[in-house]
Amino acid sequence: MRRPRGRPQVEPAVPFAAASFADGRARTRGILPRVPAPPPDARSALAAVVSVEPCGDDGALVRLRPPEALPPVRASRFFMLRREDGTSPLIPRPFSIYRQPDGDLEFLVKVMGRGTRALAEAPVGAPVRVIGPLGNGWPTLDGEGDPWVLLGGGIGCAPFYLAIRQALAGMDGAAPVPPEGVTYLFGAATAGLLYDLDAVRALGARVEPATDDGSAGFRGNVLQLLERLQAEGQVPRRVRLLACGPEPMLEAVRDHALDRGLDCWLSLESLMGCGVGICNGCPVPTEPEGPLGAWPNAKCCVEGPVFEARAIASCG
Amino acid sequence: MASLAVRIGPLELRNPVLSASGTFGHGLEMRAFTPPESVGGLVSKTVTVRPRPGNPAPRICETGAGFLNSIGLENKGIDHYVREVLPTMADADTVVVTNIGGESVEEFVQLAERLDGEGAVAMLEVNLSCPNVQGGKLPFATRPEMAEAVIGAVRAATSKPILAKLSPNVSDIAAMARAVEGAGADGVTAVNTLLGMAVDWRTGKPGLGTVQGGYSGPAIKPVALRCAWACARAVSIPVVGCGGIAGVDDALEYLAVGCTAVQVGTSSFSDPGLPGRIAGEMAERLDAAGVAAVTDLVGSIRDGSVRDGAGAPAAPRGGGPCASRT
Repeated sequence: MRRPRGRPQVEPAVPFAAASFADGRARTRGILPRVPAPPPDARSALAAVVSVEPCGDDGALVRLRPPEALPPVRASRFFMLRREDGTSPLIPRPFSIYRQPDGDLEFLVKVMGRGTRALAEAPVGAPVRVIGPLGNGWPTLDGEGDPWVLLGGGIGCAPFYLAIRQALAGMDGAAPVPPEGVTYLFGAATAGLLYDLDAVRALGARVEPATDDGSAGFRGNVLQLLERLQAEGQVPRRVRLLACGPEPMLEAVRDHALDRGLDCWLSLESLMGCGVGICNGCPVPTEPEGPLGAWPNAKCCVEGPVFEARAIASCG
Repeated sequence: MASLAVRIGPLELRNPVLSASGTFGHGLEMRAFTPPESVGGLVSKTVTVRPRPGNPAPRICETGAGFLNSIGLENKGIDHYVREVLPTMADADTVVVTNIGGESVEEFVQLAERLDGEGAVAMLEVNLSCPNVQGGKLPFATRPEMAEAVIGAVRAATSKPILAKLSPNVSDIAAMARAVEGAGADGVTAVNTLLGMAVDWRTGKPGLGTVQGGYSGPAIKPVALRCAWACARAVSIPVVGCGGIAGVDDALEYLAVGCTAVQVGTSSFSDPGLPGRIAGEMAERLDAAGVAAVTDLVGSIRDGSVRDGAGAPAAPRGGGPCASRT
């Protein structure tokens, strides 16, 4: 399935799509702009830190108040964040929307280095540049087809809290997903990295944790857990998959889905310079005959971060 | 309100702030952040004759004080640009500058000829200096006779005004500026990125897929400012300063050393609203300093011998550019 190296340069058949799914409206592929562009609802605003709460061994829930409340943001869309009080690095970092409590924006931040630490250690009131909402977000999670299985790995859990809530509430006018129609398999190296597990359990969907060291839930990874649950008849073989997590996990999920012919969407994490489609710093190799057209790279920020598994040649 | 209009060749820009090539798309798609009518001009990402898929990832790498990139001029080529992009730029209420890149004089000529009849394009910027193609050899940006050959050929191929974008990776940038002035450029853009690299010594892994790339961001401002100043002293055509501009004061510093206009690059990633904001704050800043027209500031650096005649603006008490005093 992998793209051979050194493929010839070709003129793309389809212009880049810059999909925007503001406030939970249906995903439409009908009208494509002529040039790649940030979503039309994206803005640059200066927000203020409302609260920072520790979360798990190395994370924080960072709540920001933008100058104006935003309409509901689709799960797995993201914002570029950067403190503007001189403590953040130069380039903002992308974060999935985690929750939108009372018009605020909440982000789950795992401390990885300078950029994330600046946010996780921000004092109340600190000014934060907020660029978004960006990217496309999950497809419509409807209650009418095969059940949904959500696979989260480590901080890749960030786009699933809202996904479960939006699926259960009903998205884009589609039938809501019944609680038994969505299973969330949440894997991490160890129990302390199962961020905010109790909150996501409280949503009402089935949630099954897995840890590499067996310190919580199933010992093993989320694909092994999925196969176990399917072998036990607790989850059917025909499912629709969403996944977000580290690149090796996403590659494995992609192979799993393509081998079995399952519908599968992957929310990719990529280094990003701008998040709005202008720097070309977040290329994702596209499948030559896939739905993204003939151009060899998609922009993770404006054509993703959610991609159909069959549309991309690899996850990074 | 201070007057902000400046001239480059036959063009009048409403203010001296432009986007820098490669950091703002084609410009118009950024209107929700920086409306075209708020800036003096929009400079496109480099357009090449053939489509270029760009360099392998990772293409970007932030470092301790700046930002490395090796995008490799990913673009869909001149046919796509003329067919799909230019029609959207036709009504842009600003000066549209198309940045062109080639690997030979013939390619530059081909691009210039192709764009000569395109009314949406007000000016060409000739990218002599991308460090991320041809193995970073920078043939057109490091040898005055080659820069002269490219600009001379482009001059003959187009009636549009031309900016020549120079590289800081040279020992004598003034010689490069004189060469392109002599070949008929209407202005000089100084400068493109500095060659740079990053490595993780533990893994041996370079920060960029191509190992070396272009270094930018506020860290390079003193280097780029010197380059712009050296160009401004060497030529009589306008110099457009570029490098590390993150706020209105940075932009005004470039004017003080002799630039007619500036381009905002990497800092647009920090906030795509920045070019518009810098332009918006400029009149206020000049008013507060008692400067009636932005052109009065151009070349006003003391003891820097950029120009004769016009006096420097009233200097505020104290201050100075040295952060060691703060």
